[in-house]
Amino acid sequence: MNNKYIFGGFIIVVFLGMMAYLFTQTNVAYENDFKNVMTTDNTVKATGAWVKSKNYHIDSEKNLFSFYMVDNHGTELKVVYKGAIPNNFESSTSVVVTGKFQNGVFVASDILTKCPSKYEEQFDEDTKS
Amino acid sequence: MIGNIFLTLALLASVFSMAMYYFTYKNYNNTLKLARIGYHSMTILVIAASLLLMHALLTHNYEIKYVFNYSSSDLSTGLLMSTFWAGQEGSFMLWTLLTVIVGLILLEYTSRRGDLEPRVMMVFSLAVTFLLVMVNPLLKSPFNFIWTEPTFIEVAKLNSSILSQSFMSGFFFSDPGSGKDFVKVGPELVAILKANGISLNQFIIEGKGLNPLLQNFWMQIHPPILFIGFAMATVPFAFAFAALIKNEYNEWVKQSLPWMLSASMILGLGIMLGGYWAYGVLGWGGYWGWDPVENSSLVPWLISVAAIHTMLVQKKNQNKGIGRFVKTNLLLAIMTYVLVLYSTFLTRSGILGDSSVHSFVSPGALVYLFLVLFLGSFTLLGFGAVAYRWKYLNQKFNYEENVFSRELALFTGSIALIASAIIILIGTSAPIFGQSVEIKFYNEANLPIAIIIGIVNGLSLLLKWKHTNGKSLIKNSYFALGAALASTVLIVLFGNVTNFMLIVFTLTTAFALWVNVEIAYKIFKGKKSFLGAYIAHFGLALFFLGVIATGGTSETKQVNLAKGETVSALGYDLTFNGYRTIDNGKKYAFDILVKKGNNESIISPVMYVAEFNNSLMREPDIWSKFTKDFYIAPVGYNSGEESHSEGDGHNHGTSTRMVKGDSFEALGAKITFNTFELGDGSSEAMMNGGAIKVGAVLNVVVNGKSYDVKPYLEILNGERTYQPALIESENLKFELTSVEASSGSINLQVSNINGTADEPAVAEKEMKETLTIDASIKPFINLVWLGTLVMVIGYIISAFRRTKESQS
Repeated sequence: MNNKYIFGGFIIVVFLGMMAYLFTQTNVAYENDFKNVMTTDNTVKATGAWVKSKNYHIDSEKNLFSFYMVDNHGTELKVVYKGAIPNNFESSTSVVVTGKFQNGVFVASDILTKCPSKYEEQFDEDTKS
Repeated sequence: MIGNIFLTLALLASVFSMAMYYFTYKNYNNTLKLARIGYHSMTILVIAASLLLMHALLTHNYEIKYVFNYSSSDLSTGLLMSTFWAGQEGSFMLWTLLTVIVGLILLEYTSRRGDLEPRVMMVFSLAVTFLLVMVNPLLKSPFNFIWTEPTFIEVAKLNSSILSQSFMSGFFFSDPGSGKDFVKVGPELVAILKANGISLNQFIIEGKGLNPLLQNFWMQIHPPILFIGFAMATVPFAFAFAALIKNEYNEWVKQSLPWMLSASMILGLGIMLGGYWAYGVLGWGGYWGWDPVENSSLVPWLISVAAIHTMLVQKKNQNKGIGRFVKTNLLLAIMTYVLVLYSTFLTRSGILGDSSVHSFVSPGALVYLFLVLFLGSFTLLGFGAVAYRWKYLNQKFNYEENVFSRELALFTGSIALIASAIIILIGTSAPIFGQSVEIKFYNEANLPIAIIIGIVNGLSLLLKWKHTNGKSLIKNSYFALGAALASTVLIVLFGNVTNFMLIVFTLTTAFALWVNVEIAYKIFKGKKSFLGAYIAHFGLALFFLGVIATGGTSETKQVNLAKGETVSALGYDLTFNGYRTIDNGKKYAFDILVKKGNNESIISPVMYVAEFNNSLMREPDIWSKFTKDFYIAPVGYNSGEESHSEGDGHNHGTSTRMVKGDSFEALGAKITFNTFELGDGSSEAMMNGGAIKVGAVLNVVVNGKSYDVKPYLEILNGERTYQPALIESENLKFELTSVEASSGSINLQVSNINGTADEPAVAEKEMKETLTIDASIKPFINLVWLGTLVMVIGYIISAFRRTKESQS
């Protein structure tokens, strides 16, 4: 057998195997239905929109940032994040939070906000409908 | 628009050039000259179009949609020029421009090397053609006018003296969501303006501007360098394809190697400049976050590095017989460009929309399909050609390598790099299938690979080509092994590296470092042009040590700094001395006196609210010393006097948000928000550009008495003024801070007329000005930058050497 294939094959097989294992260990699924978010014990990435009318709250002593999110079905979720309010949060149109649902709130370890790059186009759509 | 005409002509010239190169390849006479004329005319047209775009940006030609969307008049000239590549259209234009210029050098290079030119240039022109289709007016041209599709433009960006003219009525729209007024700019309005002798550039006087995150020095450098790397990655593909169609595999490696080296060097430099940007300016805390956009340019780089090593083996061997790893080399050269295209697809198609910090928004179905077509064509072309020749390749190039040979060590290193690339690629592509991985995935999967790379890096240089005597190998490695063990013990003892894998990584990295130092020292007395590889590997080892130090032993702590009080954190004494305004009052710099022992320095992180996106922006500041960086990222600021309980300090969400029917208590009063009240005939007033009034009807019960008050918001010519309402007998003031008709909510601030705002909970506890920061110590992060720099120098020396060799 060719040494080249033994070495190369060994490395590829070992690392792909290791990757597959790590993938299952660190895999985080996207979830846009908050009912599922509330029933699973796994870490998920919940996607939804910030409920502006409920404002957000900052506890500067405990360094907690909390707000409400809503999914497409209208289910609301309270999100608590340890850390500062992310840049761009106020103008965000959709929010992706990574974390777990615990004791009635979603404890986020990461918040990613998506902003419309062109506000007017957004407005355009609103007025047409 | 002339720009679009230029780009369309350039596309035709590119197709023509490609066809003529094909005919030349098919042995037609007289077509080579035409092909060159085609390529040169295309180059001139693309350069002219780029100059036109630059001119439009510099002269604020806002009737062009791209100029309006990404630039504004208040930008400095340097930043204004960098808006060239701030958006999708412009960055495709930049990529096209740089590819075309790389092609010009390639044409010159190949024309001196036998029958290479037609074969290489016809594939290269195909890549150029695809890029030119991308920037054509139907897809992503930066030259399209703003009005061809009706666009709503905020009145603040328009010339107010024209707005008040009678013909303007009927074009005004108001967005209840943001409370802003817009003018619908479409073909009808342009016709009316024209009839009145007004040009669109007189009408639109300001653009949307550049995202504040991009407004810094690195924006001017990082994207162009990365795109030069992307453009140069096209070349190895073209060489590989040219070899496959001729079915001759000796020459191409020699000719392609300097290009592969330069592409890899520039791509790597571009990636690390992005890392420095993220670390030093954007305040993301580190230089690498495994973000999809970062990853997707790292993957082709890893493949290019793998390709360099196996190509070197082929080149070395074929001088004395038949080359090794020919199939691997062809596949890797093809993969490098295909992965650049895949990277473009991932970040530009909007497919990663939810998972990346800085991927572009969805560009539309047509562009999506075209990106798929671009990627698909080159994948099929490259792999199809290899498959076509596979039988021949398999028969001709098949050998056994010795276990103790440099060939096999280099091959093993390349396979390790490929394994790393596959792992990163799969992790990055996971969002396509609704999955994602944590950052841990990348760190843990790549650490053992990096350990292997450390071993092979050192070992491959100690091994001889073809076969090595076991005894001499052991004898030769005495010095490096001993030095590596000694330095690892020192690093573990003094550097607090405790993780077992990191200790192993330190050992193999130190081994690679000492082997390279030893050999470089010997060579230094001889032929200096041979030093490139050792310098680059030495740089890599430094880089790895930097990664171990910052990754393994960084410390971070959040600290609250009351003004004037000294707080100790991470062994440093921090004193917040107050803030000052910078950049004409647009930004706030927070001065912190940092002391350690007898050394001290003022570190000034910056925070400001950007008008662009109405968000709080934060910029870190660093006290950089050789052995460590003391890194301060601002988190929030509390002025302690006003109602700034939120920590971000600038009137954000500090007041109470209410919807109809809500009530709350403040300063002993119970306040209920009953309903909105619109000013008289507001829609008519709006059409005429008059004032709009939106009031909130509040019921206030205080000391047993009930009052009705109406604070209101007035909008006149896009300017918003908030009129407070007072109950003087109770010393109460009610002021709206924002109104959102879409959600039916208001933000209300209640205060005493003569006194401070109502913020009982916070005001009592924290009367002092307080700054909250994240302080970190990043040990030896300078090794990361230094290692990168040394690697680049090594690359450059190697590229020169291989260019010289390719001429023989």
